[in-house]
Order: sequence, then C-alpha cells, then structure tokens
Amino acid sequence: MRITNFLFDKVGKWSKQFSNLPDRYIKRAMEQVYWRNPKGIQYKPNAVVKRKKYHFSVHRPWTGEFRQENSPGRLHPKVFVEPIKEWSFFRGDRVEILVGKDKGKQGIIKQIFQERNWVIVEGLNCKLKQIGDDKEFSGVYIQEEKPLLVTTDVKLVDPSDLTATTIEWRFTEDGDKVRVSTRTGRIIPIPASVEETIDYKTKATYLEQPKDTKADAVTEITFEPKLATFEMDIMEKMGIKDDRVPPKSFWY
Amino acid sequence: MSTRLYPIYQKGGPQLRVFLPNFWLKLVRPPHEQPPNVVVFSCSMEMTTFDIRNYLEKIYNIKTVDIRTRIHMTKTRKDPGKGYVVKDDDIKYAYVTLPKGESFEFPDLFPKKDDKEEGDDQKALKAAKQGYQEFLDKNKDRPNMPGWFTV
Amino acid sequence: MANLRVMCKLLKNLNISNVKAHSIPSDRRYKNWGAQEVKSGRSWKKEELRLKSNSDLHKYVLLKERNMLLTMEEEAKAQIQLFPSPERIDKVEDSMENLESVIRERNVAYHKLETGRTGERPYKMSKNAFGLRYRHEMSEYTMPKHMNKDWYEEFRSYKHDRYTEQFLLKYREKSYVSKRRQQIRDFNHVIHLLNRFPDMDMQALKEQYPNVDIEKAKASRKYGGHFAPK
Repeated sequence: MRITNFLFDKVGKWSKQFSNLPDRYIKRAMEQVYWRNPKGIQYKPNAVVKRKKYHFSVHRPWTGEFRQENSPGRLHPKVFVEPIKEWSFFRGDRVEILVGKDKGKQGIIKQIFQERNWVIVEGLNCKLKQIGDDKEFSGVYIQEEKPLLVTTDVKLVDPSDLTATTIEWRFTEDGDKVRVSTRTGRIIPIPASVEETIDYKTKATYLEQPKDTKADAVTEITFEPKLATFEMDIMEKMGIKDDRVPPKSFWY
Repeated sequence: MSTRLYPIYQKGGPQLRVFLPNFWLKLVRPPHEQPPNVVVFSCSMEMTTFDIRNYLEKIYNIKTVDIRTRIHMTKTRKDPGKGYVVKDDDIKYAYVTLPKGESFEFPDLFPKKDDKEEGDDQKALKAAKQGYQEFLDKNKDRPNMPGWFTV
Repeated sequence: MANLRVMCKLLKNLNISNVKAHSIPSDRRYKNWGAQEVKSGRSWKKEELRLKSNSDLHKYVLLKERNMLLTMEEEAKAQIQLFPSPERIDKVEDSMENLESVIRERNVAYHKLETGRTGERPYKMSKNAFGLRYRHEMSEYTMPKHMNKDWYEEFRSYKHDRYTEQFLLKYREKSYVSKRRQQIRDFNHVIHLLNRFPDMDMQALKEQYPNVDIEKAKASRKYGGHFAPK
C-alpha cells in the first residue's frame, strides 16, 4: 500500500465525527470494487481492481451523492490540499470570515470537511440556489452556505476581546493540549459541541435505544479467572463430559 | 487452538464441537414455490446439512425433519469497458422441512405505506408554487400590462 | 399467527447488541419492519468484553442479530427497498471480532501457562510456486509429512529454476517501477504544493510526504514559476 494514496483516501477524523458511524461502514460504503482475484494459486493473491482516487466535496463519503459524484468513469480535476499539521477548527467554534461578501462577520462552524480543509459557517458565505423549478413555476430560491478554506478564508475568534486571531497549540502546566491566541496569549477553549453527534448532544444525554445494553450491565464484572480454555469452560457449564484423548496429529 | 478452526476427527478422539460458529444463515423468499412447511435459507458455503440442523436446533430451538442443500451458480458477466470477467459469489440454499402441521410464509418486511408522508420541504415547495400561481392569476387581466408587472 | 413461529425466532428484535439475552415483550417484535431508520448504540469494545465470563460471551446474541440483519438486507435488495441503517451490520461485525479476540486472548493465556506455546494455528513463512514468500498456515494431518504423498503433490517444494528466476526479475522490476513512479508523482505534487501555497507549514509537508526531499524539490526548475523581477 502506498502511503500517500492511503493518506488521501482516508476520511478525516473530524469529517466523520458527527455522523457517529463505524469506520468499517464508511470504508464499505465508499469502496468501489470492480473486480477481485478469485481464490486459488495466484501470483497476486489479493489483487483488486477498484477506484483509487476519490473526489471529496461537500458530500459525505457514505452518501449516494458521493457515490454519484465518484461513479465509475467519472473523473475530476486534481485538487491540491495544503497539508495542515494539526486540525484546529471544530464544530461550534466562533470564527471570523476574511473573504467574500460576509468579510468581517463572525459565525459558528457548522460542518467540517477535513479532506478539503473546508468548514461551513452557519448562515454566512451563502449563495442562492434554485430548487423545484419546472415549466410553469420558476422555483424557490434558498440560501446555501458555501465552504470556506480554513487556511486562508477564516480565522478563529479570541473569546477575550472577540477579534480574529491566529492560534498555536501549547501545553498547559497540567499537560493538557490547548489552543492559545498568539496575540493575547489567552486560551481558546474547545467548544462542548465537539463531542456532539447525530445521535446525541453529549454522551451524558444519550437516549438509550431498545436494543442497547444498560450501562451497569456493561460494567458488571462476571469474569472469574479459571485454568481452562473457553471451550473447556463452556463444556463444563453445559455438563458435557468427554474424557477421550485426541490421537496424535501432525501439523505441517 | 483457535476457536474458529475445525479440528480433524480421528477414530477414538473426542467428539468435535463448534462453540463459536462463523456460520451465517439468511432467511430468503423461496425461488420456486414450496410446500407450506418448507423454509428456504441461504447459508454460508462451509455449512453441511448437519451443521444447519444443529445450528437451527441449538441456537434457534427449531426442530427440523429434513434438510437439503443445493449450490446455486451465479452468472458471469463481462465488464463493459475493460472486458474482464466478473462472477458473483455462488449461493448455497438450504431447504428445511419443518415437522408436520407447522407452516411458514415469508412475511412482508417492507410494508407499503398508504398515506404519502410529505416532508416539510415538500410542503413548503407546494405552498410556494400555489402562492406563485395566485399571484399570476391576480395580475392576469389588467389591460395593457404584462402579467408579471406589479407594484 | 402460526406461520410466523419460525420468523419470530429469526427476526424478532432481540436485545441484540447485548451479550446477555433478555426476554422481549412480544409487542416490540415487528416495530422495525418498514422503518426508515433504526437507531442503535455503538459496538462492544474489547475492554468491556474482558469483564464478561465465558458463558456470558457464549449467548449467540450477536450471531442472531447478524442473521436478522442479513435477512433484512437480502429482502430489501429483492424488494428494491432501502435497507434502514446498514451500519448496524458493521457494528455487529466489529463486536463479534472483538469478542473473538477476547476469547483468543484467554485461550492463549491458558495454553502459554500450561504448554509454553500459544496454542494458535501454527504458520511458517514459505515460498510458493512463483518463488514469492507467503505465510503458510499449517494444517492438521493424521500422518506425518514424509508419509503423506498427496501433500507432497499439492505443496511441492519450491524449485528455483530458470523460469522462476525470469518471472521474479520481471515481478521485482514491476514493483520497483511502480514505487519509483509513485515517488516521482509525490515529488511533482510537492512542487505544485510549494508553488500554490508558499506560506505552507513545512513540517506538515514533511510529515505527509516523508520520502520527498523538499530541498531538492525547491531546486527543481518547476519550482518558482514565472515571475518578473522587481
């Protein structure tokens, strides 16, 4: 596996955090395998023909829109994404916009697209979009937020004086990693909405689903150490007795 | 030994037991019409009739009378662009006969909803469309004025 | 309904992501049929499963849930309907993998204590008919190797002859060329990045492309582009 390809294919941690989906599902949903080597003696036993490069935009990788955008045979111009050392824009952060018609306005980050270094700021940097038009009806226009580049188009807002600032990641004396405003030296706290997902606002307020195991049932310790394998233990519990010794066998 | 490896059986050895089967079983609609007490499953390729019987009896508590299996060969197709041949995985079907008097009919897992549930956006779009039509109707009959012109 | 007896057993809403089986009230059984979305919790973690006794892990709850979900998925495909919340299958699969690895851990601990070996399926690195190294997972046989004629026919030991030599030469060349091409592609990509983002974080660039010499990229004639002197 080529390391760079691997890096590009990976969906950013903060892009998928809100969806609360397992990585395995995301991988399965975005993968496009056209052909796989059949089982048997092959000089390349695990050869796979699949799509290697994906075009990331405002569609999440597990959605139908993404699949459509990356449908077989559909190519996109190459996108250059500036490498960023550490992601420092989170859902719920207050940012100031540096470009466009909303230049100078401040807003809250609503969505993150880490693969493209994009964020969407709630209600700002909007464009009109025409929907539902047909022969008789000209359609309605709705405002749609457009993504902004975190490297050049937005800046975090210092909560002490509510002005835009550049930041730096530093350690506190307790060893916590925090964002610090380089202008005032104040800490910019990470908002509580970072842990928010589509299923819950905070982990404490999670609404239990009918099939979920109760928290105390999860933490209950029923394990007792015993000098037996799993199979021996289960056989004993089920009352199965088998004293026959397996005849000698050979491994090769 | 690994829990998922089937050991070999030798005469005089202990009975082979599977504690954590890797097997799956899918209940499917029968491809052909079956008597009412026959249930059709598609199962993992490694399963034998004995495995299926034990699986249903021990895990699901279902008594069976007879089990037959067949392997359905799936179609091969050529990739339209590249031309290589692709074949879907074969499917093993198990026809399980239940005891006399029991019957099974495949239920409707995706019942059709009678009332069309419209989303909020659909409702809003409908209202906007109606409003636009009313606006056109109101201004339609003014003399020497185009329909779209209004104060 | 009598005909639903089997179905209930296979498809009822078991307390699924739960290791312990619970009895379910019958009115909840078919709630999810025809639903657009079915919410579910996360999968079981290894550290949670380590707290559970062997008989708790041996309840087949996840197995039943997986069968139910696979049945639903298959039927959705047949009916051309949307299978609600397909990530449930992956959650169950993850839980099952974790459960198996926890049981493996326990068995390995027992075998190491008793015999000094892991008790896992043994393997050795071997060479196949193409002269390529592969992991040979050993199998169990009733007779020793030197008596097993069939085995010798199937796994004939690798002979390093003229033809394998030719094959390996080409195989290695292919992999070398593809690596080299990737290197060149990365190198050019870095030059483009440098041209586009002059104020880029160089450390981040180095981390992302560890095998690209950035000084060399800057010395390239592609770097810099067209600019007029002041």
